[in-house]
Amino acid sequence: MLNIPSLALISVLVGFLGSLTGLGGASILIPLLVFFGIPVKQAIASAMIAIIATSSGSAASYVRERITNIKVAMYLEMFTITGAIAGATITTIIAPVYLYFFFAAFLLTSFLRTSRVNHGFTPAGSQDRFSRWLGLSGSYFDQASKKLVSYRVNNTVLGGLGMLVAGLAAGMLGIGAGAFKVTVMENILHMPPKVSSTTSNFIIGMTALAGVSVFLFSGLLNLTLMAPMAIGTAIGAIVGGRVLNRFGDSTLRVLFFAVVVLLIVQMVYKGVTSI
Amino acid sequence: MNRQSPAKGGPKLENAISYVLIAGVLISLFLEIAGIVLFYNSYGQLAISQEQSVFIQGHDFFSFIYNEFSQHTRTLPVMLMTAGVVVLMLTPYVRVILSVFYFARQKNIKYVVITLFVLTILTISLALH
Repeated sequence: MLNIPSLALISVLVGFLGSLTGLGGASILIPLLVFFGIPVKQAIASAMIAIIATSSGSAASYVRERITNIKVAMYLEMFTITGAIAGATITTIIAPVYLYFFFAAFLLTSFLRTSRVNHGFTPAGSQDRFSRWLGLSGSYFDQASKKLVSYRVNNTVLGGLGMLVAGLAAGMLGIGAGAFKVTVMENILHMPPKVSSTTSNFIIGMTALAGVSVFLFSGLLNLTLMAPMAIGTAIGAIVGGRVLNRFGDSTLRVLFFAVVVLLIVQMVYKGVTSI
Repeated sequence: MNRQSPAKGGPKLENAISYVLIAGVLISLFLEIAGIVLFYNSYGQLAISQEQSVFIQGHDFFSFIYNEFSQHTRTLPVMLMTAGVVVLMLTPYVRVILSVFYFARQKNIKYVVITLFVLTILTISLALH
């Protein structure tokens, strides 16, 4: 039986996984809550708080260790927040069923990339003008490989559009769309895996805040769900934030793809059942 | 710890954001735990409740905060849990405000515009819903 202490314990694991993969963890929590008999709308609304806790709890470490790229995050947030607000508005017009399939299809493209770069991250040789103008490059010290990893962000215009779509999906489907964001950052912006997942983590907290404010009006925010989720995910995320840099990129990738496979199945299932 | 040699001013923002985030999360954690402990003391159980008293609702984010803490209609455990949620929600908001001021002090116009844009859209969306 689900109660406050058991939900807090489950949330520790969710926060830990969420902080390592750059996913908010809401997509893991929502089906779990529904399984235990919590009304689905209440689960979606209250899980937003878990995204903020995961994001803030782990980002504190990632930002201090200079893994998160703040400038990239700020630039991309312009697009995600615009997309999120547009998405929330569009939901009233278009059936989200198409978006479930689109989202699943886009996530599949992340597998194409891995088969090519399983030898590790290779930085882009050159940088386009706009990305250079924005000053979007960086480096961090990778504790797993004991190396300084330098990178240049590329295709910022296309990446911004990708984030607009991520924001749309987040606004329409009521999720953090962290998997989508990580995929855009790695595949389009050519950012290293750890920088992608930590920068995504940083951004989703703010997108979720915009989401919570929508739900505040609806009266679906249950304190006996939010309090234990906030405690559990925050603790899990603080721990995750401290250990991420010690993991190798390949371990994190396996973890990420395991969760992405789950998400694809979930999206296709939702799409099929809502036809 | 492996710290890179900081570029002029840049890392200060990272340290400040890091402190804001961890402070927000820890204060929220403290309030939530205190709220749950008092909730148990008052009601003698820790089940997920569907009673109206454990739901929070407001017209928009800012008026919600004002109403919640100016009218003392809630019990102390519920108020503490609400305060924990509010602190957590304010954490990402405060870090955007902090970034605007930081880039302004750096006279980095590009990023002042970018962060101001984010802050404006966020504020509008919080105030409208």
